[in-house]
Amino acid sequence: MQNTIASDHPLTPEEQALLRTLAGLIVPASEEFDVPGADDPTIFADILQSAVAQQAEVKAALEYAAGLDGHPAAHVETLQMSEVVAPVVALVMQCYYRADAVLVSLGMEPRPPYPEGYEVEQGDWSMLEAVQQRGKIWRDV
Amino acid sequence: MSNTTQGRDDAVDFSPADVLIIGAGASGATAAWSLTDTRMRIVCLEQGGWNNPQAYPTAGRDWEARGQADFSINPNRRQLRGDYPVNDDDCPIKIANYNGVGGGTVLYAGHYPRFHPSDFRVKSLDGVADDWPIDYEMLEPYYAENDRQTGVSGLAGDPAYPAKQSVMPPLPMGKSGQTLAAGFNQMGWHWWPSDSAIATQPYNGRDKCINLGNCIHGCAQGAKASTDITYWPEAIRAGVELRTWCRVKEITLGEDGLANGVVYFDENSEEQFQPAHIVIMACNGVGTPRILLNSVSDRFPNGLANGSGLVGKNLMLHPYASIQGLFEEALDGHHGPHDSLWSQEFYETDERRGFVRGFTYEFNRGRGPVATALTGAFSGRIPWGDGHHAAFRKLHNRLTGVVAICEDLPEEHNTVTLDPHLKDAHGIPAPKMTYTISDNSQRMLDFSVARASEAIRAAGAYDLLIESPLSVGGWHLMGTARMGADPERSVVNEWGRSHDVKNLFIIDGSIFVTSAGVNPTRTIQTLALYIADQMKKRLANLFD
Ligand SMILES: Cc1cc2nc3c(=O)[nH]c(=O)nc-3n(C[C@H](O)[C@H](O)[C@H](O)COP(=O)(O)OP(=O)(O)OC[C@H]3O[C@@H](n4cnc5c(N)ncnc54)[C@H](O)[C@@H]3O)c2cc1C
Repeated sequence: MQNTIASDHPLTPEEQALLRTLAGLIVPASEEFDVPGADDPTIFADILQSAVAQQAEVKAALEYAAGLDGHPAAHVETLQMSEVVAPVVALVMQCYYRADAVLVSLGMEPRPPYPEGYEVEQGDWSMLEAVQQRGKIWRDV
Repeated sequence: MSNTTQGRDDAVDFSPADVLIIGAGASGATAAWSLTDTRMRIVCLEQGGWNNPQAYPTAGRDWEARGQADFSINPNRRQLRGDYPVNDDDCPIKIANYNGVGGGTVLYAGHYPRFHPSDFRVKSLDGVADDWPIDYEMLEPYYAENDRQTGVSGLAGDPAYPAKQSVMPPLPMGKSGQTLAAGFNQMGWHWWPSDSAIATQPYNGRDKCINLGNCIHGCAQGAKASTDITYWPEAIRAGVELRTWCRVKEITLGEDGLANGVVYFDENSEEQFQPAHIVIMACNGVGTPRILLNSVSDRFPNGLANGSGLVGKNLMLHPYASIQGLFEEALDGHHGPHDSLWSQEFYETDERRGFVRGFTYEFNRGRGPVATALTGAFSGRIPWGDGHHAAFRKLHNRLTGVVAICEDLPEEHNTVTLDPHLKDAHGIPAPKMTYTISDNSQRMLDFSVARASEAIRAAGAYDLLIESPLSVGGWHLMGTARMGADPERSVVNEWGRSHDVKNLFIIDGSIFVTSAGVNPTRTIQTLALYIADQMKKRLANLFD
């Protein structure tokens, strides 16, 4: 696996390594769905960069995870229930679900909504007839 | 042109303004535009800046992340230069606002219902709170004028309202709207296309909606009628001077008992004084009481225009319940504006339900992949590890539902006060919100959850996600400088003028007497037009 540890980052190399371990535990790669894990080098580089703006919360989560005995994999139940760890979950999801490979696997176009926008069907307006038939429901004063 | 001033070519002009408006949001923009008829010199001071819509989140791949960061709906999280902190620790519903040209309309969803005739007669009809000193009929022409200026989409003929026209066709139902509507039809309940401040056709130089979604973090297409792109360009062309990055600290009082200007911090954080003949407050239901309470004098030791003691009291927020269903088939996901349909089946009082007054269901669409993943993770539906992907795919594009907007009645113990410790970047005391959900509101929330659960299940949902009250939903800020004929029981009179200070007007959501069970902005802007018109009609003896 490519080394994505950054030296000029507010997270220490140990914290970065732990963050990557957690990312892979939260969203692992899947052959069945043909998707990378959140510890994939490209996705993790995005996670690391995005962590800078949220470093206080992320550091607190990592400190909590580091304080558990042994490998985090042994504590998944505890970690996924923890409010302190929630900002790391949010960070991982934010980056994972904007990665090209992930969006393509979901049948989505890897692009921002603007400027192309999307089609949304009108729907069947004749369904309103039932409502119209009931007549006025507002209250006279 | 100076950096911060639009509408004038010279450097800042500190000669007295005829009209000084504080706040360039929904109501400030609307009144500024209306008053341009008078050819008076109108200056507006706004603490935030302009936005470039094409830099809004949906123009980038990180659009969902930015909605939780620089375009968060919560100023305590956003912490941009225009923002001020709000202490909402004693409030179960957290503050949501936007501070910049356009105010809250930059982020609003654009759900744009009118009040109903009964909403102005709560005391007479249901024996609670107070009647408004004005009524639906008086406001109707101003509603219509604001609808044209804003460009409201919708469908005429809604049986929950007196007849009203729509300016353009409704937003599409989409798969989500159609699915939910089928459930409401099975229950035999009212639903109708929402009136929306979102253009479905090119309108007044604005382009039509292209279903970007994510409306509550800014509309990059410019289809949503935020006042920075509706009223402001016209008001500025007609000569209004809008000074941005100018944060008002206090309104000062002359010896004659009239307001004579404001002290503010300019874009360089220098303290300035802008004299004025008329002052109009348009800072919203939290920002307006904050500045009034911070404007103390010998005459008003408890805050300007506070002879009644009601400035900052009767805060109303609209408790929301969110009821979302999980469906087997794929729906719209994040495509399309949040607005689509509404139901007012339970709008008017029926005491058999166990509460007075009522609520609107606002139908939502779906959410983007990040929000879906977080909803799943934090509700225990998406586990860490190998089960993640299958669980995510069960939720992806398969969530839709409604939120209930419950009428909140005024209670004096729900307040905005000045926080004794917290201050903004200029040292001005921050507002503190103290609020509890009343028993009536709680019963209404519970009822709304129970009934929506039935309808959404009837629509085919196999599981429900419920949040009540919706903790992030402090976006409707009302009641803290209420309107009324009696100076002992209200802050402004029936045309928005302070009872105590005869050249001080308030036009934002703080003047609401009651909150109705609908989003407030169409009525806020309508009231701004109405009050501006009253001022124009009385110019010769405005201060009598
Ligand atoms: C996420 C979100 C979604 C919403 N959705 C809807 C919806 O669908 N429908 C609806 O009807 N409403 C909605 N709203 C509410 C709507 O935005 C407000 O009702 C409306 O903007 C209030 O208008 P206002 O004129 O009272 O104040 P605002 O629009 O809030 O304007 C107040 C302005 O005053 C400025 N200001 C405050 N203090 C000072 C000061 N000291 N000096 C200088 N300037 C100051 C602020 O910066 C701001 O620009 C939503 C709001 C949010 C945040």
